[in-house]
Amino acid sequence: MRLKDPVNITLGIAVEILYAFGIISAAFLVCLLIAWQI
Amino acid sequence: MILKPSPQDLKNIGYYLGKIILGLGLMMFIPVIFGIALGEINPALDFLIGLEITLIFGLVLSKLCFTEEDLSWMQGMIVVSLSWLAATLLGAIPLYLSGHWSSYLDTCFDAMSGFATTGLTLVQDLDHLSLTHNLWRHLIMFIGGQGIVIVALSFFVKGASGAFKMYVGEARDERILPNVVHTSRFIWLVSITYLILGTLALGTIGVFEGMKPLNAFFHGACVFMAAFDTGGFAPQSQNILYYHSLPFEAVTIVIMLLGAINFKLHYHIWMGNRKEILKNIETRALFVAIMATFLVVALGLNQKGVYAGAIALFRKGFYQLVSGHTGTGFMTIYAQQFISDWNHLALVGVIIAMGLGGAVCSTTGAIKMLRIGTVFKALLEDIKRIILPDKAIVVKKMHHIKDIFLEDKQARAALLITLAYLCLYGLGALIGMWFGYPFLESLFESTSAAGNVGLSCGITAVTMPAALKLTYIFQMWAGRLEFMSVFTLIGFLVSVFRGR
Repeated sequence: MRLKDPVNITLGIAVEILYAFGIISAAFLVCLLIAWQI
Repeated sequence: MILKPSPQDLKNIGYYLGKIILGLGLMMFIPVIFGIALGEINPALDFLIGLEITLIFGLVLSKLCFTEEDLSWMQGMIVVSLSWLAATLLGAIPLYLSGHWSSYLDTCFDAMSGFATTGLTLVQDLDHLSLTHNLWRHLIMFIGGQGIVIVALSFFVKGASGAFKMYVGEARDERILPNVVHTSRFIWLVSITYLILGTLALGTIGVFEGMKPLNAFFHGACVFMAAFDTGGFAPQSQNILYYHSLPFEAVTIVIMLLGAINFKLHYHIWMGNRKEILKNIETRALFVAIMATFLVVALGLNQKGVYAGAIALFRKGFYQLVSGHTGTGFMTIYAQQFISDWNHLALVGVIIAMGLGGAVCSTTGAIKMLRIGTVFKALLEDIKRIILPDKAIVVKKMHHIKDIFLEDKQARAALLITLAYLCLYGLGALIGMWFGYPFLESLFESTSAAGNVGLSCGITAVTMPAALKLTYIFQMWAGRLEFMSVFTLIGFLVSVFRGR
């Protein structure tokens, strides 16, 4: 395993973007709950 | 007894400071070439003048103070704090020559705001600023986000142990790779990789939204640099509101969050340790903190009933919140709307988020998640000690790349920096109130400056008192360097006058 392995870098970037989308999804859920006052 | 600095101390400081200034001067070649390529000759000349002054200053310092000695800890810290001041004064020259700033102080305010990745701005008529000057505004965020010293380490300083001392002085206490020069190159690798991806994504959205391709990709690159380096400048005066695009806003949220991740964590994830993102105390703390502060903001906004529907709440409420939490300062509302449209509960939610910040060893400012996590774990440990029987042994662990047993000295260090930030937020708020601004607005703007955020509720303006501009410049500088380098410089100045 080395740093410049493009597969690892690509998967790493994908994981980081997924983390960001996780936060966005959770926040949007909060928006839905608050806006619809569920 | 305080010792007076020796001539060798001054020589070491001057030599390394000269090297860093040379690094900054070389970066000014980028806008010169860019300006000539676009046919913006006058702006290119502004940068040529700035470049010459910077290179002359750097060359004279490094030649006059030439030394082969390594830096001591004190010298390293002083070089870092002085290099940020020198970068502000020199980096402001080409901006001032554009005529878009009403005074050199205003230009220095913007230069410090750029280098410290804050985003507060005093520029006038931004919409008619040349592309070359606009590029420099965003480039200084890119340089400052990685670290001015990192630029010099990558090109000039070869593996000296002094390099590590400057690296630490620039609020990067985590060494990613054993060699600090390799560490700084890795930081550039991450930033350049995301620069290409981010510019492509934002530029493509811009084209689909109807912008001309060249303009769309220029805006994409500028906005990326400001988002990943959690800066907050934008090419247009309306900031992100200018684009009126949900996909553009969603992508910038992703980039801001990526910028708030620790470079050490980037390294381990890119090396294949992908589960670390779920286990790391910083990513967990960031998720919880964003959700908790957003809940406060959302409840506040819902009380006021200003944004009807989930999409509006997301685009106006969550966007400002995540922009504040990551220390970016992008806005999809006008500054005055914080006061006219938002209630106190929502404002307090954003102030707390701005005060917390992102991960250590990232491009964000403020207290940061590792310290919040450490203080929280230490608090839990103490509560357990009280609840459990006297004979019980309480051991607290946290996971940051590896399992770490929490020791008192870690908790103490985290608490001290947290306290220093809280004092800095409070100090700026007091000075703001002294100039007649209301409490909450003063605290908002002060936290934004000291936490290197860049959200504004309207106080930051050309007409604000010069003393308040200087206060915010000091807050941006001290907040970005996380105090130690600044305190060392103050101690050094005291020793110059009072030492024996």
